[in-house]
Amino acid sequence: MSAVVAPPRPSPSAPADAPAGARPRRRPGLPGLPPRPRRGGRVGRTPASLSWPLIAALLVFSAFPFAYLIGLALTESTLARPLGAFTGLDNLTEALSSTAFKGSLWRSTLFALTASAVQLVLGTALALLLAVRGRRLGWTGVVLLLPLVTPPVMVGVAWKLLLAPVGGALPSIAGSLGLGDPNPLGSPTGAMVTLIVIDTWQWTPFVTLLVYAALLGVPRDLLDAARIDGASSWQTVRHIVLPLIAGTLVAVALLRMIIAFKLFDIVYVVTSGGPGFATTLSSFDIYRTGLQQFQVGEAAAATIVFSLLVGVFVTVVSRLRRRVAGAAG
Amino acid sequence: MNPTSRRVFLRNGIVLGASVTSLSALLAACGGSDSSGALDVAATPELEGETIKVLVNQPNLGAWKVVAAEFEKETGAKVELSPIPYDKLTSQAIRDVQSGAGEFDVFQYWYVGLGDLVEGGALEDLTDYIEEHADEIKPDDYLASIYDPYTLMDGRRWGLPFDGDTFLLFYNRRIFDEFGVQPPQTWDEYAQVAKTITEGGKGDVYGAIVMGQQVPIILGCSYADRLVGFGGRFVDESGKPQLTSPEAIAAAEALFAVGPDALPTPLQTGFDQAIPAFLNGQGAMIEFWTDMSVMASNPEQSKIIDDWAAVKLPVGGSNTVHGTALNAGFGAGVSAISKRKEAAAALVKFQSSPAVQEKIIGEFGTGGDPIRKSTLQSAAFKKTFGQAAPDVAEGLEGQPLVWPNTAGAVDKLQTLVDELALGIQGQQSAQEALEKAQAAWERA
Amino acid sequence: MIATRPRRWPSAVLALVTAVCSIPLLYLVSLSLRSRDDVLSGSLLPSRLFWDNWPDTFRSLDLGRFLLNSWVVALLAVAVTLALALPGAYYTARAGRAGERLSAVVMASYCAPPVVAVLPLFFLLRSAGLNNTLPGLALVVGLANLPVAVWLLDGFVRRVPREIEEAAWLDGLGHWATLRRIVVPLASPGIVAAGLICFFLSYNELLFAISFQQQTSVQTLPVALSLFQGDRNIEFGQQAVASLIGIAPVYLLAVLAQRRLVAGLVAGAVK
Repeated sequence: MSAVVAPPRPSPSAPADAPAGARPRRRPGLPGLPPRPRRGGRVGRTPASLSWPLIAALLVFSAFPFAYLIGLALTESTLARPLGAFTGLDNLTEALSSTAFKGSLWRSTLFALTASAVQLVLGTALALLLAVRGRRLGWTGVVLLLPLVTPPVMVGVAWKLLLAPVGGALPSIAGSLGLGDPNPLGSPTGAMVTLIVIDTWQWTPFVTLLVYAALLGVPRDLLDAARIDGASSWQTVRHIVLPLIAGTLVAVALLRMIIAFKLFDIVYVVTSGGPGFATTLSSFDIYRTGLQQFQVGEAAAATIVFSLLVGVFVTVVSRLRRRVAGAAG
Repeated sequence: MNPTSRRVFLRNGIVLGASVTSLSALLAACGGSDSSGALDVAATPELEGETIKVLVNQPNLGAWKVVAAEFEKETGAKVELSPIPYDKLTSQAIRDVQSGAGEFDVFQYWYVGLGDLVEGGALEDLTDYIEEHADEIKPDDYLASIYDPYTLMDGRRWGLPFDGDTFLLFYNRRIFDEFGVQPPQTWDEYAQVAKTITEGGKGDVYGAIVMGQQVPIILGCSYADRLVGFGGRFVDESGKPQLTSPEAIAAAEALFAVGPDALPTPLQTGFDQAIPAFLNGQGAMIEFWTDMSVMASNPEQSKIIDDWAAVKLPVGGSNTVHGTALNAGFGAGVSAISKRKEAAAALVKFQSSPAVQEKIIGEFGTGGDPIRKSTLQSAAFKKTFGQAAPDVAEGLEGQPLVWPNTAGAVDKLQTLVDELALGIQGQQSAQEALEKAQAAWERA
Repeated sequence: MIATRPRRWPSAVLALVTAVCSIPLLYLVSLSLRSRDDVLSGSLLPSRLFWDNWPDTFRSLDLGRFLLNSWVVALLAVAVTLALALPGAYYTARAGRAGERLSAVVMASYCAPPVVAVLPLFFLLRSAGLNNTLPGLALVVGLANLPVAVWLLDGFVRRVPREIEEAAWLDGLGHWATLRRIVVPLASPGIVAAGLICFFLSYNELLFAISFQQQTSVQTLPVALSLFQGDRNIEFGQQAVASLIGIAPVYLLAVLAQRRLVAGLVAGAVK
């Protein structure tokens, strides 16, 4: 898409090359005088007014709560008595000295990065398989949509019941197959792995669909050329297809990662942060501190710290995205 | 200016104006909430056609439906019940009042959250009202162990009791007979029975079901049962924490020790797994609220209809007096910003009255527990509670373990429960866990 | 796409994946047909078919009302999201560095867990008289999904050929008009796709629904499901019925729109 050289200004009465669907309009201007020039004289200076609705939404939905959050974090605030006396960095110190919270930062990072990576790989693999099969999703697509539309509460309930050590279907089946007495939710590592599995179940279809769509946009001629040159499927994928969809992959990874950092519903229903603190991810810890223990000041400070952590990872991935987009040309 | 930029200007203006307006409206709202007037204690409210909105605990919905039906019959007022999950009861009430939303007139509240509610200004002071209507309310009829913890804070009364809530030790007679054990009287015997059955059961049946999910209402109850058994307390009369007493430490040790012999695994066991395990005959013993008797007798849910029985909570250490603990337990109060406080107070008075309490207890399946001495004497109580009735009465009339209820109590209990969970996981000893909890309680 | 020779194993693998995908959902169906004593009985299938859960759920819950509320809130929320995201995405896609900055701010706002933000938002809604109303909840949910919509639409807007935009420019169309008459029609498959994804997110939204809707008459389906969780003696069968009834229409929508969804995403990916 090259830049367009500004063509000569058309006369007011004869708009040329009007695209279908655009009604020709008379350019406003005072009669008798030459028509006024367009803004800037070139296509491109997008007016700030386009951004006003979004900015207004951000002001209401993000800026104001953020200001309130800072207020809560800097004062003595319980749910019963928010915004009390100014206490400076006390809430921050309190949050950072909580072993549960500090651990949750590490756990959330581990969870988000692992889950996103697994889902990216799995989703891309599935998308490749789907693309090999053809341009229609068919029955697989129909089933793939199910995890996306299921309420997270029910996802949690179903998995929790399936994995219950006494009376759950999966341990029973494993037991009768001679695989011992598995109790994934009973051990710290097992519970974390289970969370990743459940999250993967729920979000891999999302990744698959987006990557599949990107794959469909890969030009056929490139693939045919590679085949003629004798490249194997795997080489084609690795050297041609993946670089072409790299931008989409990174973008999907970014969104998936942020959502994974904020995971709450599944933790709440399936493990309640347990056993012990093994699956207490940061958003769950903040919920506990603020809405169950009523320490909203500490919870606000924790939110700020956690957002900064997520922000760091977002920045890293964004830089990557820009580099990838730049390389793609 | 040309039409396009005029439109743009208008658009900008509207957007900015909207933001400014909403922000200033917000600031104005933060300045103060609507005044709803103080409670007129002597007034007789006009109840016919009035609608009273109540925030209720989901598990108690059945009992409230009984109250609502009776109230409507007697006064013609409509009662609208809004159930919410049990872990959101206190926070929802505080937020309803603090935001000025005032959706509810009556709050059902957990007595442990009473201090937080009063600090948050959510409840109306009912001291004078109770005095004015004492002949109807009969404050002396309330069980002494219940009346003050459920309603008294900072020298004033803030609500009336609604539901007592005590624990018994339920066990499966058939499994006991199969393994040749007797119902335990002490926590040591309990541990022994658990071990025998679990080892003999080889994965088909477990001796004990220990609910250890890491929230006060679950793990806190499991601990409280043992604490009262060993003769310990959470706090002494002046409110000082007693968590490092020998009784408290012994109670925690008993809790940790039974882990390997309990239904796998205590930390992941909440109500949703514990109840089916007991009712399916997969677990031999469980400490639970008295309404387990109702569930165990329900053919739709229970496979042990003829096999269950209950005894008082075991004792331990040097303590020989069986007691019970006031685990959960609810009162009802008037919202501080209700627009119909007199009507709300009338409903609060009504649900707590001897007649209505007896009706609630008498209805099968409401899960209500007695709060009045007169209820313990009634036929309805004896009928519903059956063979457990004498044990429950004895527990309530004695010295049950009361949980702390001052401001910040919920937070403190969560801290205690967190430390206990680490202990159950084997990451610290009972002594260490309780010392840390004690330090946190003293700091707050 | 990659190979012209038909291969068997991709279909086999996909069939396996499909099966694994559906196990938890088929389990929900199985749950809905179990009595309470059958729930933790150790098998995937109920030991006997217990049909009572289905009528019982309708008796204990006003399911129709919850479903209606959920749909109203989700549709309104999507309208709010798209209305705000479209001009915003046009800006972030076309406005060079300023657009990138706005995009970064939008993403940054998405990084924070919304738990504590519930408190100030509650005050805000109340001051506007919108708490406990369907439009109020729709507004907040719509705003919450804004970053996702902006992120998705940004990509689609970039794919609209610049030549067409420029021609409209030369013709005297302002940017807003260009957006309305050129960009939206050309990017409409992508807009539909983004709208669908935001619909799914709004429909299952739990935290805000629980926090802002106190009266049963304005509560949505996830709230009803969480009420089941709030019992000590959980009625899993009824909970499963409620969720299946809730999923069914949304799922129908997803299946019917599946073609458009993929077409939209493909159109966004081409070029």
